[in-house]
Amino acid sequence: MATAIHKILHPHSSHSKGERDSSVQDDHEASHDRQDSDMEQRAREDEKRGLMQWEDRKAPLSPGQIDADPDRKMVGHSSSVLRQEDFELVKTLGTGTFARVWLVRLSEPQNNDDRDKVFALKILRKVDVIRLKQVEHVRNERNVLAAVAGHPFITTMVASFQDHDSLYMLLDYCPGGEVFSYLRRARRFNEPTSQFYAAEIVLILEFLHEREGVAYRDLKPENILIDAEGHLKLVDFGFAKKVENRETYTLCGTPEYLAPEVIRNTGHGTAVDWWAFGILVYEFLVGQPPFWDQNPMKIYEQIVEGRVRFPSAMSPEARDLISGLCTVDTSKRLGNIKGGAAAVKEHPWFRNIDWEALYHRKVKGPIIPHLRGPADTRNFDEYEPESANREPYTREMSEKWDECFKDF
Amino acid sequence: MSLPPDYSNEISALNREILKAQPVDTLQFCANFFLRRLESQRAEFLLSQQHQHSSPRGRGMAESTFPGSNPFSTSPGLATGGMHRLEEEEESDSIGSPTASSFPPSAMDKAQSSTPGEGTFGNFAGFSAPAKGKSTAPPAIGAADAQSFPSNYNLNRRTSVSAESLNPASSANDNWTPPYHPKSPEQQSRLKAAVASNFLFTHLDDEQSAQVLGALQEKPIPTKDIKVIQQGDVGDYFYIVENGSFDIYVNKSGKLEPGPEGLGSKVGSVGPGGSFGELALMYNAPRAATVVSTERSTLWALDRVTFRRILMDSAFQRRRMYEGFLEEVPLLASLTPYERSKIADALETKKYPAGTKIINEGDVGESFYILEAGAAEVYKRGVDKPVNRYKKGDYFGELALLNDAPRAASVVSTTEVKVATLGKDGFQRLLGPVEGIMRRNDPSKMAAHEDGDAVDPLAKST
Ligand SMILES: Nc1ncnc2c1ncn2[C@@H]1O[C@H](COP(=O)(O)OP(=O)(O)OP(=O)(O)O)[C@@H](O)[C@H]1O
Repeated sequence: MATAIHKILHPHSSHSKGERDSSVQDDHEASHDRQDSDMEQRAREDEKRGLMQWEDRKAPLSPGQIDADPDRKMVGHSSSVLRQEDFELVKTLGTGTFARVWLVRLSEPQNNDDRDKVFALKILRKVDVIRLKQVEHVRNERNVLAAVAGHPFITTMVASFQDHDSLYMLLDYCPGGEVFSYLRRARRFNEPTSQFYAAEIVLILEFLHEREGVAYRDLKPENILIDAEGHLKLVDFGFAKKVENRETYTLCGTPEYLAPEVIRNTGHGTAVDWWAFGILVYEFLVGQPPFWDQNPMKIYEQIVEGRVRFPSAMSPEARDLISGLCTVDTSKRLGNIKGGAAAVKEHPWFRNIDWEALYHRKVKGPIIPHLRGPADTRNFDEYEPESANREPYTREMSEKWDECFKDF
Repeated sequence: MSLPPDYSNEISALNREILKAQPVDTLQFCANFFLRRLESQRAEFLLSQQHQHSSPRGRGMAESTFPGSNPFSTSPGLATGGMHRLEEEEESDSIGSPTASSFPPSAMDKAQSSTPGEGTFGNFAGFSAPAKGKSTAPPAIGAADAQSFPSNYNLNRRTSVSAESLNPASSANDNWTPPYHPKSPEQQSRLKAAVASNFLFTHLDDEQSAQVLGALQEKPIPTKDIKVIQQGDVGDYFYIVENGSFDIYVNKSGKLEPGPEGLGSKVGSVGPGGSFGELALMYNAPRAATVVSTERSTLWALDRVTFRRILMDSAFQRRRMYEGFLEEVPLLASLTPYERSKIADALETKKYPAGTKIINEGDVGESFYILEAGAAEVYKRGVDKPVNRYKKGDYFGELALLNDAPRAASVVSTTEVKVATLGKDGFQRLLGPVEGIMRRNDPSKMAAHEDGDAVDPLAKST
């Protein structure tokens, strides 16, 4: 059954490339080419139909479906047939250090319905990825996104593909924009709003840590988007890593959100996300993170010391939660101690949360973005166009690095 | 006449919802739909209004003026606590940072924090004044003036940072040893003093500290006017001043510019025992200032990869050693690798001089110990010779994890010893009672483990 779905949705994912190639047997160069491109053409059309189907339903998968073999899953596969030309780049949604995320639609929609279907396409230039030494991180990002595709609160990577000089991740478009923008505009969130968002994050962390063995490592309001229905979607898995029961050492994250063990380089694991989660809840309620200074070294000094001070108006439950999460000693940190995420869910601050209903997106979010149609980008800022003169991805580079990108 | 586009959009949105929900009570569904749209549209409108009225830095932001049901209304508990009047509980002094700076402010701290509005500082390297030695406070700097929370908080999007990837697995194979540059005892102690107040160094154990100091490399600066670091450049090194002196300049543009004014203004200077550029030990960030020699000088330099690798290698080895020791403890034989690594992470290192009674016969046991280095002897009351001897890798006191029974013997160190220890409370906090874990060995009680205390979240089998 699952295989059948897979075949319908993407019969020509790159994993079946071998079969396809061997089925082409023709001595005539010219007709060979034509036939190949005919087949390729058909494969592309099939693939695009699959995308449209997903976009039409967009129903989150159950944890069991998410865990399925990537080849049997409706989303998250690597496609050998998709190309950038299949998509019309409508508008830039955001830029990161080396990526640009575009709102896209099919460049040749079959009908009006398909014209309305949009995605976010994250494009990374191989040259930049290599120059900024992010090869490992980008691979982790794709693989983790593939593994978790379909979770209700994580942006779904529908498919990934590559061409000579770029890597592409096709994501569900999340039209509400960043929680960051809402938070800065509102200055801070009230308790019910903070609880709702925090609770959805708990479900994400529970899933990533306890089901996938993945540490996310860059939790912050900038990386949390709001979808059309007011639920959260976590984006940017650039630092996510499957750690399982081994600690890892590479420093990464965002200064205000770094955990003490990351700064001290004593080895870190999924516990860093619980620390960052404490910082996040604090920032929701207060409007700025607990540790701050203009000089980043002073931030780190405060983090390592780990003394959080609370505004006197903050509720005792919220303080207790944040103190539990922002505990320097990982063997005492809430979320990392016995019970894991369940212990966080049981905290009194989350007393009013119905966790079952929440996972199934049955609880109404506090902000429902007001949108004019599915392709509305009013919640995103304007960005400078991409600079035209790009460093070329040379043959030598391709010989040296393409092996690293082969999963894409 | 065509219908207004807004209307068409609303209707097609409604159509989609209807198709999706297939409601029984259509009219009620439509009414609810429009009410929800209205509510959310109003909330957003008010939000954008409020946004326009507040200054870009969010100073003196008005309290929320939303009607009752909107998501941003101040909760009752927070109703009076405006951000700009944030009250601290324990300390009533108003300071520049929301958290206490309990460390002594140095000249450079003031230099940096008294430049309000200089958001650019946020991503740059820091400086520290020498622990001893001369440091001239720049004239422009007043007292650490009180900056009211939150006007100095940078409200922009924050960029992620990352250092080069460090992989202990490969380091185990290639037998990396840190570079070693010999130093005289006086130099050693001067360097130790120079980093004594730097939090990146205060947590190091003796061995790490020796390796880090050994790795510092001498760097002669032959004349004055040499720019050791340039504002805006990438930074890979941290420097300590051995002798000579340096001036620090900051250009408001965020980077060193050409021309005579390109340095910007002088904000301070560093002399012997001072240090600069320590952010480079964390990750590659643009330098916050330009540092120029004012005479012939000598520096000690340390690069990030060496520093972080020393820290990583020793942490990695220690963890693997602890995990190895833990595997040998029969009481803990049924721990999963995941649990073992959690316990290894929680073990605390303690050092005792020779002749210390580590546990005392008859006391109620609280903690469990693994002998990491050194030797110890076991004594029982009424026997005048040691009844046992412990060496590296041996463990004792593990029954304390299980019950409150008094210690059956005393353990006394015969040399200086290093132990790794964990208390019963610590163990239970992480994994629950030991009894539950021991019970796993007993097949007749397997069920008890299966339904409750499966503590390994990575085991997908159950
Ligand atoms: N699925 C999506 N829907 C809508 N907008 C998106 C989506 N994914 C990303 N964006 C926008 O693009 C921005 C950049 O994306 P992302 O954070 O993934 O890139 P990045 O280069 O890894 O970023 P950074 O350098 O900050 O780590 C996001 O902050 C968000 O505003």
